[in-house]
Amino acid sequence: MNDSQATAAAPEAPAADEKIAVQVRNLDLYYDRTVQALYDINLDIPDRKVTAFIGPSGCGKSTLLRCFNRMNDLIDDCVIEGKIIIEGKNIQKKKIDVAELRRQVGMVFQKPNPFPKSIYENVAYGLRIQGINKRRVLEDTVEWALKGAALWDEVKDRLQEPAFGLSGGQQQRLVIARAIAVQPKVILLDEPCSALDPISTLKIEELIHELKEDYTIIIVTHNMQQAARVSDKTAFMYLGKMIEYGVTDQIFTNPQEKRTEDYITGRYG
Amino acid sequence: MNAVFGKEAVAKSRRSASFHRWRSRKDHAVRWLIAVGGVGVIIAVVLIFFYLLWVVFPLFLPAGASLGESRSMPGWERSDPVYFSLEEQLEVGLRVTEAGEATFFHIPDGRELVSQRLPLAPGASISAVAKGVQLDGKTAVATNDGEVFVFRHSYETRFSGGVETRKINPELDFPYGRESLLDLDFPAVTGLAFSDGNDAMVLAAVGPGGRVRVKHASKTENLMTGEVTLEEDIHETRVSFNATAVAVSGNQRWLYLSDNQGRVYSFTLPALEARDVVQASDSAITAMTMLLGGISVLAGDADGVVSQLFPVRGEDNRFHLRLIRQFDGSGSPVAHILSEQRRKGFVALDTAQHISVYHSTAGQRVLYEDLGGLQPRKIALAPRSNGLLIEGAGGRLQMMDLDNEHPEVSFSSIWSKVWYENYEEPQYVWQSSASTNEFEPKFSLTPLVFGTIKASVYAMLFAIPLALMGAAYTAYFMSPQLRKWVKPGIEIMAALPTVILGFLAGLWFAPWLEENLASVFMLFLLMPPGLFGFAWGWHKLSLGDRLRIPAGWEPIVLVPALLGLAWLSGGLAEPVQGVFFGGDLREWLSNTAGISYDQRNAMVVGAAMGFAVIPTIFSIAEDAVFGVPKALSNGSLALGATPWQTLVFVVLPTASPGIFSALMIGLGRAVGETMIVLMATGNTPVMDWNLFEGMRTLAANIAVEMPESEVNSSHYRILFLAGLVLFMFTFVVNTAAELIRQRLREKYSSL
Repeated sequence: MNDSQATAAAPEAPAADEKIAVQVRNLDLYYDRTVQALYDINLDIPDRKVTAFIGPSGCGKSTLLRCFNRMNDLIDDCVIEGKIIIEGKNIQKKKIDVAELRRQVGMVFQKPNPFPKSIYENVAYGLRIQGINKRRVLEDTVEWALKGAALWDEVKDRLQEPAFGLSGGQQQRLVIARAIAVQPKVILLDEPCSALDPISTLKIEELIHELKEDYTIIIVTHNMQQAARVSDKTAFMYLGKMIEYGVTDQIFTNPQEKRTEDYITGRYG
Repeated sequence: MNAVFGKEAVAKSRRSASFHRWRSRKDHAVRWLIAVGGVGVIIAVVLIFFYLLWVVFPLFLPAGASLGESRSMPGWERSDPVYFSLEEQLEVGLRVTEAGEATFFHIPDGRELVSQRLPLAPGASISAVAKGVQLDGKTAVATNDGEVFVFRHSYETRFSGGVETRKINPELDFPYGRESLLDLDFPAVTGLAFSDGNDAMVLAAVGPGGRVRVKHASKTENLMTGEVTLEEDIHETRVSFNATAVAVSGNQRWLYLSDNQGRVYSFTLPALEARDVVQASDSAITAMTMLLGGISVLAGDADGVVSQLFPVRGEDNRFHLRLIRQFDGSGSPVAHILSEQRRKGFVALDTAQHISVYHSTAGQRVLYEDLGGLQPRKIALAPRSNGLLIEGAGGRLQMMDLDNEHPEVSFSSIWSKVWYENYEEPQYVWQSSASTNEFEPKFSLTPLVFGTIKASVYAMLFAIPLALMGAAYTAYFMSPQLRKWVKPGIEIMAALPTVILGFLAGLWFAPWLEENLASVFMLFLLMPPGLFGFAWGWHKLSLGDRLRIPAGWEPIVLVPALLGLAWLSGGLAEPVQGVFFGGDLREWLSNTAGISYDQRNAMVVGAAMGFAVIPTIFSIAEDAVFGVPKALSNGSLALGATPWQTLVFVVLPTASPGIFSALMIGLGRAVGETMIVLMATGNTPVMDWNLFEGMRTLAANIAVEMPESEVNSSHYRILFLAGLVLFMFTFVVNTAAELIRQRLREKYSSL
């Protein structure tokens, strides 16, 4: 912890000194055993930074994101080759405890998906499935997580009400609170604002800024302004390939690749 | 998009206003059609409900009576009637006077038909009359000169054409001759009783000073000639009490006497040995008669209360007279009790001119009328119990119509324990008919409701775990390719006609189960540890990876494992039976454990009906589980929950309204299921949770008995009542289920 904080304190540290949270090496992914969706992806995602994946629909950015917590396991006949190293372990290995991996690598989906339970139970759920049932611990964690997701002030008086009573933006922040309640290392955001109005979007973006103090954040977004606003590093993907990956400012102002430039300037997408 | 084409199409549709009209008309028509269909269904259900109610309703209507016109009969005021009777069509009556004059008369117009004098000695008069217990027209009379005769009145009905040509010819004859059958040395007879059955005939007379003289004649029929010879036997005794009334049972084995202290005494026949004394009432017994069938004795007392008594087998294995129930009195002494000829009902007339109509099984008074002013000298009850013939003061003849169709139905006779004749204690019994008219119908719906619940409970016990776990596995874990085959496969089970299921259950499964009982129980015991052991070994040896069986294809190895376990339990059954159950579990159950075993039992029904219910529950529950949004289960998995945690904490609660509906629809099907229970339960209306005994359900009972029941009879209407109960039952269950489902949906509604 202390060690990584020291790293984060140095803002413009050179890439070589950066602590790496997720390493991707030679990753190929096939759907239905034969249809290749990702081609030879190599990527180092820095710790406690926001990394954005951009690219046109179907380019494989969500697929790549879902590799990090092995959600692709749920898809039949999805074959992955290559390595993904998180916390020094290759998570592609069979022996990996997938449930524990997913606790460490949280995920927030495109559409808010609170459970049909109360606000409180939604946040406490992650702890309960870890076998934590002490009332004190649960209450403290729920409050902490809701504060962390900037939702506490809005819901503190109605924690026992159903989560469906919240607005879309609030639901999405609730889902983020639910994700951080189990204290993950990495949070994956899969187009978290695509179903939200501009004000809610703004709130989520502010939240992302705060969260990167403590978590490594990987966000998939369609919205290039959003990527420019929230991310430290940006990866541009196209047709399953990693076209360009670099510091966000540089990608948006001075892309090295023609295809990146075309995409950013709106030639296709 | 082809812009030109689009624009053209839009322009075209704008032009055709008729198309818009046509479209909106179609919309209206469809809306109406759907509304009519929906409302039609509701109306149909409501109509069925009201039809049932309409058929059942008369059961609960009170009885009524209405007096007809009165007619003065010439010469009646000068003679005293001792016997009064009428025949079935309410057309011909019989009046016997004290002087022995028997006159048949036409009731509607008062005409005298036939008149005949009984073979009394000149100057003698009749001092006592006793109707035969069998109510077949044979009647005994005792004269004041100590003679006893038996006469019989019968009515021959002839038709020369239609109903309107009906002619009734009354006849009076003497089946035992015109000689005196019993000579009494105490001419002032105070009580006379007469019972004439197939095997014996009994005449009993009681005189002053407690003198009792009984003639018991055994009948033997000559096989060649058919001639009946009587073997006579006369006994006499003297009782210490003041005998007020006498009765003889229908089987000629019991003599009952009552006293003025409210006691009823029983004596065995022909030995005339005193047996029991029962305190039937607090005041003097004033009248006594046998109920139809000759088993129950009815004793009316000075307060108008009628008590019913009959012999009950006691712990010493001998019959003892017991007081069974008492009927509300009118307050005045009972003068006369008339038994109905076709039902277990009776009419009591008291000295204050009130008549009460009762039914013994129902334990209730159904009618109470004041005959004020008529001053009845004699009354007679019509054989169909639909009228009373009354001779009033001054020789006036009057008919009273009785409207008393369903006296046997009361709340207690349908739902409570009833003490039936020949039973040792009050019980819930359904036995609607028997071979004789004297039978006491037993209409307790309780055992049927119990049977219905028992059958559904065992069926649900069998079906719920299998169907729900199967649904959860199929929807949540099974691979889509396999699911594509499994789900329709199970659903097609629902298409199996239940008559075939019932047929298989009753004729194949039930005998098979009886022979292989031990194997089945072994399977129950071995299955859970066996499967767990298999799964553990599978996991430990990583066979799944080695054999390359992908997730969701586990059944491929589990089904063989299951078959293996079944084979193993079949093999183990023999030795286990040998060691623990003396060689045969079935024998052991009946002989050692004392558990009775019917071949067609709750276990067979549970399995067969469970089999019928499983597809319904499975299909709906599977849809519910499968319909839980993937976003929710993914959200849970992404938080680090295992698939099992996700299923239990997120998927099942979200699917709970659908699962609950599935259970309720399954239960509704099990409750109303008819063919399977009809064929596989044995249809014995017993009340017992025993897994190895059968039951009779409401639905099966209706199916069995409806074709046999006479339209509009009490039995018929009670069967409709059973249908109504079933209807209400499913209605209440479904309504409750719907309310619960709504609440669940409110709680767990998602997206």
